[in-house]
Amino acid sequence: MRCCMRTAALLAAAALLMPHTSWAGSCCGGGSPTSLIVPKFARAIADVSFDAEVYDGFWNQDGKHTADPPRSDLKQYRLNLGYAHRLAQNWQAGISLPYVWNENRYSGMSSSTSGLGDTTLSLWYEALDDESSWKVRDLSDLAPAVTLGISLLVPTGISPYDDVNSSFDVTGRGFYRLDGNLLIDKTIQPWNASLAFTYGTHFERSINREYGAYTEPYHKDLGDRLSASASVGYRYVFGTGGDTLTTTVSYAYLQEDWGSINGVTDTTTGMEKQSATLSFNYANLDRDWSLRLAWNHAISEDGWGKNFPTTDIITTGVRYVFR
Amino acid sequence: MCSVRITRVFLLLSALLILSACGDNLFPSGEDKRPAIQPGSTGPAAGQKAPDFTVSDTGGNTVSLTSALASRKGIVLYFTMWCPICDSHMSHMRDKIPSFPDIGFYAVDYVSGSVADAAASASANGFAGSFTVLGDTGHLLLNNFQATMGSTVIIDSSGVIRMNEDYRDGSRLSSVLAGLP
Repeated sequence: MRCCMRTAALLAAAALLMPHTSWAGSCCGGGSPTSLIVPKFARAIADVSFDAEVYDGFWNQDGKHTADPPRSDLKQYRLNLGYAHRLAQNWQAGISLPYVWNENRYSGMSSSTSGLGDTTLSLWYEALDDESSWKVRDLSDLAPAVTLGISLLVPTGISPYDDVNSSFDVTGRGFYRLDGNLLIDKTIQPWNASLAFTYGTHFERSINREYGAYTEPYHKDLGDRLSASASVGYRYVFGTGGDTLTTTVSYAYLQEDWGSINGVTDTTTGMEKQSATLSFNYANLDRDWSLRLAWNHAISEDGWGKNFPTTDIITTGVRYVFR
Repeated sequence: MCSVRITRVFLLLSALLILSACGDNLFPSGEDKRPAIQPGSTGPAAGQKAPDFTVSDTGGNTVSLTSALASRKGIVLYFTMWCPICDSHMSHMRDKIPSFPDIGFYAVDYVSGSVADAAASASANGFAGSFTVLGDTGHLLLNNFQATMGSTVIIDSSGVIRMNEDYRDGSRLSSVLAGLP
């Protein structure tokens, strides 16, 4: 029971902390959602979630926040299917697939498109377990759980380099990306704190078509990507039944360097985003089933991001742990 | 037993979804597949005669291909929907304008339903004085040039399209403009 609660806390924290790669449905393609972490003594985990992302202007390259065009209504919806499987005592692998709907309304144009987004494949190693989540007797009880991982973003989405008519059709970026992930998590009931770091590098690719029109071939690469997030959660236990509600607040920082074209730095690219998330995770006594609701808010003020849309993302999800 | 079935079904569906993507992104091609252009034809591709157009700018003036090219070496049409990438491109392009005094730079707003909306966006984004903003409310330019966000079209003084592709990093724009007669 104690072990289940600890691993459930780690599970919930991992799901909340893995940063969303939210991209403008109208300009940058769909993202991939969370990575999944299988609890220590479980075999597998399945997750289904739905994101509703509403656009509210953007930061330009100088960090100035700018409104979207008058009378525009820009949204992206994502249905995310996730599954992770334990391979060995400390090893697990997962896959995450989003399906993306772009809904863009301007005063002079509207568009509704959809398609598969980019897929994420992950491999995780549980380097250190959180051995004491109930009572701290000495310093060693403060040791957190440490999980290391690598993720490969596979460009299964519709990118600008496919046979598409316009930027509204885009649901993916069109590039492979390899990420290294570090998750540090500590639970001292009823509190939980987590840190997550990811550093990723894209793979350069050839391009011979842009939005359906063939062009002189060239090589393009996107910049390296860094994300970091920190969160604090508190778990409420309902009566004597054992059902729990965990409330978590988190802050996330996301940054991508300049890309390149034919090996020359492209200074029109790169981005930065800061956001905050409030989430609620409800789990039953056995922690087999859990439901979650989250609100991610990008701060729509000058200086909180660069060259990126500001959005609000509402996420609802359900998760099942296979014992 | 049930969970094993669910696992297998999920993995099978995942594999099918990935395989069904069938885009060019999994195995990108560097092959040049540009079709041959019929000399003298009118169309959106580089080497073709530019389709004629007549639209209003945000100042209420009527702008046609002929009037835009009058006494200039050429014009640039940049298609914007006032997004972060568009802003980045336009800021980058704005720095180039002084180097090409004989070129007309136009931003084509194809998402606004009125010239007034286009003017409001140009002002909110800080480009009202930098570019002549065309309100493509009927999508004439968008359709004729088969454009989308970031499309950058260069038309020389004889009305021939010299470039029609994504802005990328702006280097192609500079080199093509520098090579105009």
